[in-house]
Amino acid sequence: MLARLDDVARWAQSSSVWPLTMGLACCAIEMMSVTSPEYDIARLGSEVFRSSPRQADLMIVSGRVAQKMGPVVKRLYDQMADPKWVISMGACASSGGIFDNYAIIQGVDTIIPVDVYVPGCPPTPDGLLYAVNLIQQQIREGGRGGILARA
Amino acid sequence: MTLSPTPLEADVVSRSDNAMVLSMGPQHPSTHGVLQIVLEIEGENVVKADPEIGYLHTGIEKTAEGLFWTQAQTVMERMDYLAPSSNALCYALAVEKLLGITDRIPERAQAIRVLAMELTRLASHCVWLGTHGIDLGAISVFFYCFDLRENILDLQEAAGGARMHPNYIRVGGVNGDAPEGFLARLDALIAKFPARMRELRGLLQANPIFQDRTIDIGILTLEEALQWSATGPTLRASGIAYDVRKAFPYSSYETYDFDVPTRTEGDAYARFLVRLDEMEQSMRIVEQARRRLDTPGPVMIDDSKVALPPKETIALSMEALIHHFKIISEGFRVPPGDVYQAIESPRGELAYYLVSNGENRPYRVRTRPPSMYNLQILKGIAPGNLIADLVVMIGSLDPVFGEVDR
Amino acid sequence: MPSTQTPPIGGAAIDPPSLRPPIDDAAIERVAPAQLRERLEALKGEGFALLLDVGGVDYLPREPRFDVVYHLLKLKPAPASVAAVGKPMRVRLLCGVSEGEHLPSVMDLWKSADWAEREIYDLFGIVFDGHADLRRIQMPNDWEGHPLRKDYPMRGPARERAPRPNFANKSNVVAGTPPTGRTLEALQEQVKRARRP
Repeated sequence: MLARLDDVARWAQSSSVWPLTMGLACCAIEMMSVTSPEYDIARLGSEVFRSSPRQADLMIVSGRVAQKMGPVVKRLYDQMADPKWVISMGACASSGGIFDNYAIIQGVDTIIPVDVYVPGCPPTPDGLLYAVNLIQQQIREGGRGGILARA
Repeated sequence: MTLSPTPLEADVVSRSDNAMVLSMGPQHPSTHGVLQIVLEIEGENVVKADPEIGYLHTGIEKTAEGLFWTQAQTVMERMDYLAPSSNALCYALAVEKLLGITDRIPERAQAIRVLAMELTRLASHCVWLGTHGIDLGAISVFFYCFDLRENILDLQEAAGGARMHPNYIRVGGVNGDAPEGFLARLDALIAKFPARMRELRGLLQANPIFQDRTIDIGILTLEEALQWSATGPTLRASGIAYDVRKAFPYSSYETYDFDVPTRTEGDAYARFLVRLDEMEQSMRIVEQARRRLDTPGPVMIDDSKVALPPKETIALSMEALIHHFKIISEGFRVPPGDVYQAIESPRGELAYYLVSNGENRPYRVRTRPPSMYNLQILKGIAPGNLIADLVVMIGSLDPVFGEVDR
Repeated sequence: MPSTQTPPIGGAAIDPPSLRPPIDDAAIERVAPAQLRERLEALKGEGFALLLDVGGVDYLPREPRFDVVYHLLKLKPAPASVAAVGKPMRVRLLCGVSEGEHLPSVMDLWKSADWAEREIYDLFGIVFDGHADLRRIQMPNDWEGHPLRKDYPMRGPARERAPRPNFANKSNVVAGTPPTGRTLEALQEQVKRARRP
C-alpha cells in the first residue's frame, strides 16, 4: 500500500520538476530556448523557472563556473530544499569544457553532486529536454529522491 | 578545495536610519546573467549601486594565447554569446589585417559575412527584447521574440553546423558556401519579418505601462555617455550617430544602403526605440546581401597557406594534402605587429587589439568589451531611482556577461 | 590538442609593436609613464572625447616589461547625425611600464577608466596611483598572482603541479549501465512491446 503511494508521489514529483534559474553563460541562452514555443519545456511539467532556490527542485547548471561563482553555486545548492536534482548542462559545467585554465572550475561535480550530464557546447535544447526526461525517469524509479529519501 | 565567497565590502554613503546594504545577484532573474550589484538602499530608493563583475571570468584571453590562430577563434566566439558571429568576424578581420590579405577576401564571402553578422544582430536583439519584456512582466514578448530567433538559428545551423557558436566565419572567408535550401529558408524569413516586427512593436511600443516604466528612466546625457565610453545603441540614444559600420567600414559595409537610428532623449525608452529601428535596418541589409548571393563565387581566399584546401582535392593532389596537414597540425604564422580592429556589434564597438610576435599563436588578444563599458554606466545612472528602475536600466543597457568578464 | 605543451613555431619578436606592418588603424604614439597624464589631458583637450579602451600586454623578456595601451576616439560632444560624425580619428598611446612601476590613473578624466584600470591591476599587477578603489575585479578578492602575466601558468599554480584528472573515475554511473538506468533486457522488452502490431 505504501509502495503504491510512493509510486503516485514519485509520479507527481516527476511531472512538475521546477528548475532554478541558474543560467551562467551560453548554455543559459539555450536553456531559455527550451522554454520557447519551439521546444516548450512546460509540457514536461517545468512550467516555471523559480528564481528562489527554496522553491526549486532542479538546478540546471548551464554554463561555465568561474572561480568567483563556485561558492555561490554551492550556497544555492545548499539552500535548495530536499529532494533536489542537478543537471550539469554543457561541456563547461560537466568538466571545464574547452577552458582548461586557471579561471574555470573543472566540472561543477567537484562542488555539488550531479545527476545528469549533458554534453555539447552548447547542447541543443533537445539535449536538455532529454536530460529532463532522464531526471524524471530517475525520480520515478526512486533514485536519490523518493518522498521520504534525503537527496 | 576551500570555497570562501567574495566578501562584500561596501562604503555606506547614506546617513539615514533606513539604509540597508543589499546584494542583488549574482543569481537573480533580472540581472541578465551573473551580475552582483551591491546596493545601498533606503526603502525602495537606491542611494548607491556598485556592480560587482567577474562571476563569469573565463580567462578567454589567456586561453587564446595557447591555441593556434584559427583555434583561438572558437574561444573568442564564446565571449558575446548572444551574437557569436560578431566576435568571429572581428577576430577574423583583425587577423586578416595582420596577414595583409584584407583585399583578397572574395566578394561572395564578404556578402555572406555581412549576412551572418546582421542575422546575428537580429538574433541578439530578439534576446534583448524578450528578456527586457520578461523583466517588466511582459511575458508574451519573450515567446514572440524567441520564435523569431529560432528561424535565425535554423539558418545558422544550416550554414555553420551549430545553432550558437557556428564557427562559420573563418580567417580568409567563410567555412563553406550556403547549403541547399538555405536561400529558400532565408527568403521565408525575410517574408515573415515585417509582420512579426509589427507584432513586436504593437506589443510594447505604445503600451502605457511599458512607457511609464521606461520613459525618463536611466537618462544618460551626451556628456555623460562620452565620459563613460558608451558606444552602440546606448550612445546613439543619447545623440551621437557613431556607428563603426559607417565611420570605419569593414567587410564591404560601405556598399550597403542603411540608416543609423539615433535619438536624443537618452532614456531607456529611447534605447528601446533605437534597437527596434536597428532591427529593421538589419533586415534591410539582409535583403541586400541576399540579392548578392545570387551570383556564385568562391567563399574562401585562394591562399593555400591560410585557408584549408577543398576537401575533394586532398585525395588527388600532394600539395593540397601537405597544405592541409601543415595548417591543421601547425597552423599558419602571422607576421609580428599589433592591430586594433573594431566592428559594430549589437552592443556597441567591439574591438580586438591583437598582438602577434610572428609565431603560430596569438601573443595577446585584448578585447574592447562594449558591454563592460556600457555596464559601468549603471554606477552613474542608478542613484536616486527605485530598485524596479534598476531592472529597467540593466535591460536597456543590454550587457552580456561573457563579454564583461571574459 | 596543442596548448602549452606544443612549442610555438615561428619567430619570437621581442617588441612586436615596433615591427608592425603598415596598417592604417590609428595614429600610434609611444609615451613614457612620466608624460602619460600630460599627453592624455592634451589629447582630451584636442577633442578626443571617448576613451575607447585601456588594455595591458606583457612582453616578458622585453624591458620595459608591460605595455599599457590607451585607445582614444575623436568625437565632438554634441548631438550629430551620421554625416556630421564623419570619419572620426583614432589614436593609440602605448606606455611602457616596468615591473613595479606605477602609472597615474585617469579616472578623473574619463569615468570609464575605473574598471579598465582595475582589470589591468587584477590581471597584470600594474598599480594605478590616484585610483579611488583599486581592487581585484575579475578574480576573487583573495586570489594570489596576476593571471595574464606570461609567467603565470595556464592552468593556475595549484593545478599545474597536479596530474591531469582521470576522467574514467569521475562518473557516478556504473560502467556498462545503459543511459536510462534500466537493464538491457528491459529496454529490449520495451522495444518489443512498441513493435507489437
